[in-house]
Amino acid sequence: MIELDHTFSTGKPVAYNWEAILDLDRVIPRVEGGSVTERTSPDSAKAEIVVKMGAMSMKFRGTVDVAERDDEAHRALLRVKSRDVGGQGYANADVVFTVEDGGGTIHTAAQISGKAASMGEGVVQTVLEALITDFTQKLATI
Amino acid sequence: MTRYVLGPDCGTLTVRTSKAGAAAKAGHNLRMEVTSWHATLDLGDQPALALTADPSSFRVVEGTGGVMPLGDEEKAAIAKTIDDEVLKGSAIEFNSSHIDVDPSGKHLDVEGELKLFDKRQPVTFALTLSDDGRVAGGATVKHSDFGVKPYSALFGTLKVADDVAVEVDATTRSQDDD
Repeated sequence: MIELDHTFSTGKPVAYNWEAILDLDRVIPRVEGGSVTERTSPDSAKAEIVVKMGAMSMKFRGTVDVAERDDEAHRALLRVKSRDVGGQGYANADVVFTVEDGGGTIHTAAQISGKAASMGEGVVQTVLEALITDFTQKLATI
Repeated sequence: MTRYVLGPDCGTLTVRTSKAGAAAKAGHNLRMEVTSWHATLDLGDQPALALTADPSSFRVVEGTGGVMPLGDEEKAAIAKTIDDEVLKGSAIEFNSSHIDVDPSGKHLDVEGELKLFDKRQPVTFALTLSDDGRVAGGATVKHSDFGVKPYSALFGTLKVADDVAVEVDATTRSQDDD
């Protein structure tokens, strides 16, 4: 299990941030290589992410659900479950957003197996850290 | 003067890159061949070496290391990336400025300038010359010497190492011109 904490800034009021974070059509494409392939309900989507490693790439396909939401505390848990397309591995994550005026925080707890994990936990953590940092920068314009 | 004319019909010009960065394990060390190049080595009172290579003619021969094996499709994609995003068609030329030939005539210390990424930088390397006309040697070229950042992916955690090895190994008949 890899756990990471990040902050993000939007400069927008809490109500705007809360609505934006719960909108999977806006959130998922802000993950580099991520896209929604099908909306299955207001709180869930089928999605995929292509992680480019130069000429090589790894594709994960799965679901993203708003598993928990606390409208008073403006805290939401987005649960990601995905499998490595063409492989045996998986990449799952519980991503907790807590938003306030101006931005918010993200706590990520990720579990990754298969080829990606064979790089070693330190490498996976470094790449995940870079991926989420890039995501927080893209949230600035959500 | 004795002139050796070298090219892909009689030898190989090999380029080797290695991987660097925190996610280096995900990448491959590459062995590439330049499939279109031409060189002349003149020996005599004023030894000289000149080489030109087509920047769009790189072919990935082998990739070692990495999490996943490198297939033909990925090899072709790397060659295209090198052409489109790295070299971008900029000319590759080397011209010697001075060559020391040892008394045996078999070892040459070459100094000169390499034109790459539209810049010229000094490069030195050693060449050996065999009786059968084999010319072999290699040089290390650094991205940083040319003010170029090595290609990177995965948010900069996986990149090509600064040092790139270039090797020539060719066997050709000399053309004596007295």
